[in-house]
Amino acid sequence: MLFFVNVAVFASETGQAGDSLAGSSEHFVLPNPFMVLPFILLLALIATGPIFYKHLWERNYHKISMLLGLVTVAYYIVFLNDVKSVEHSVIEYLSFIALLTSLFIASGSILIKVNVKAAPLTNVLFLLFGAVVSNLIGTTGASMLLIRPFIKMNRERMKPYLIIFFIFIVSNIGGALTPIGDPPLFLGFLRGVPFFWVIDNVFVIWLLGILLTIAVFFLFDISNKKKGSSEMVKAKFPVELTGAKNLIFFAIIIVSVFLDPKVLSWVPSLSPLPFGIREIIMFAVAFAAFKTADQEILKANEFDFEPIKEVAYLFIGIFLTMIPALQLIAHESRVYNHYLTQATFYWSTGTLSSFLDNAPTYLNFLSAAMGKFGLDVNKAVDVQHFVTVDDVYLRAISVGAVFFGAMTYIGNGPNFMVKSISERAGIEMPSFFTYIIKYSLPILLPIFGVTWFLFFRG
Amino acid sequence: MYTLDEALGKKINGLCYGNRILLPFKAQLLKVVVESDIITDFSRSSKGIQVVDQKDFLDLYFLEYKRLSDSLSEYEAIKMVLVEEGKDVFDLGNHRKVALYLAEKHQVTIEETEADILFIE
Repeated sequence: MLFFVNVAVFASETGQAGDSLAGSSEHFVLPNPFMVLPFILLLALIATGPIFYKHLWERNYHKISMLLGLVTVAYYIVFLNDVKSVEHSVIEYLSFIALLTSLFIASGSILIKVNVKAAPLTNVLFLLFGAVVSNLIGTTGASMLLIRPFIKMNRERMKPYLIIFFIFIVSNIGGALTPIGDPPLFLGFLRGVPFFWVIDNVFVIWLLGILLTIAVFFLFDISNKKKGSSEMVKAKFPVELTGAKNLIFFAIIIVSVFLDPKVLSWVPSLSPLPFGIREIIMFAVAFAAFKTADQEILKANEFDFEPIKEVAYLFIGIFLTMIPALQLIAHESRVYNHYLTQATFYWSTGTLSSFLDNAPTYLNFLSAAMGKFGLDVNKAVDVQHFVTVDDVYLRAISVGAVFFGAMTYIGNGPNFMVKSISERAGIEMPSFFTYIIKYSLPILLPIFGVTWFLFFRG
Repeated sequence: MYTLDEALGKKINGLCYGNRILLPFKAQLLKVVVESDIITDFSRSSKGIQVVDQKDFLDLYFLEYKRLSDSLSEYEAIKMVLVEEGKDVFDLGNHRKVALYLAEKHQVTIEETEADILFIE
């Protein structure tokens, strides 16, 4: 957003050396603003491909994503002689995809049956439960584990809004309470934000966001006159869990999230390798979960690697092509940091998190906010000082990064996976644009506006 | 030719060659889901599935696929809502949900979808 507002400034400053990349102490040369084009092109293709040239896109999306990513990599290495920026992105991508892959496979080997007749109140309770659980096993884990039972519960009364609200609540807003909930909060935790700071400071905003979204959902759901299946209530238990041993894999994944040398000093660093012990454990768990999975459960879940393959290919392109965009935004927000208010941080972090990956967006705006007070995001002492003295900025950035991930299918990793699982179940999901125009703009934007008015005005 | 119940009861397999599937019964298709493709248009101009009228079997060409086996995993089914030939298509009780799994040697196993499998008509 800032880039578009200040494009002239960007153009005049391009090529000047010396700005600090958020998340590192390295120095880099600002990229040419035109290098944002591969990222814009990739986003445009992700938005239009599945609608206008679906099968051509399906056959070629991985090549296109890789190619556009490589254009950016080549530019950085050949023209800017900047390997570090690419390296940082690759490291973040590997952490991201290791977590998503392991949770995807572990959850694919668990079958949950909720033998409760679907009704508006039951759905409200289910979504509330999902919102809480997403703080314990992450929005990705909760989405993968709960989307199938949610669809099964509602199979007699299925309409796309049910899935959309699931994405809003379980895949995004729900996970705003703990660093496990959503990757940006975890990045903050790695930088020195205390683990319980989020729940202590964001709970009221979270509660309001969840209650307002669920209230709108309830209005939608009571107008759905179709009844839930009565067969569901004939079952012996209200909830049946098969493949419970995979919950152990889940626990290992969650614990391994903390196995980072920045969190626990005894954890060895594998530098210069672009991954650590954590990623090795996550991929090993993914392998073990798949190899030991019950074949009947895999069949019942129609397990297929395609959804995670799609996310892996698209997001490597997104992570690489967004490097220039993030650096330019970080630079710009630092140049203008004296003019940036809590409201600017809330809306800017949010708007960019709707389309960019929210983790680096969070970090760049955190860096800019701390820059206002002469603090360095790379120093844990500075971060801890920042969260005690100027915590309203961190609240605005945290809420913006997590909540706004629900605005588009690409705002957060699980959104795409939930969409894919739903389509494979025969549910016709809205297109990229319909999702935004029909659901996220009219429903989420007013809710986020209320959040801004009550908590981040000024 | 078998009826759908005979094909399911006797576990008669269908066949798959490239993008073509042959099923040992005749039926009216109402909805087909392949991966994330939801196909409900079976008219001649449709780019999704071409249904060729054969005397004793159901002959389907998935026009957007070169080889179905390249796209579907062993756990993934092609799911169909269909009505057996001769039965009243307007009677919802005649709507049957069937899952097709690609097996070895061009075989296609046909199963009525269990409650566990996600498939919304």
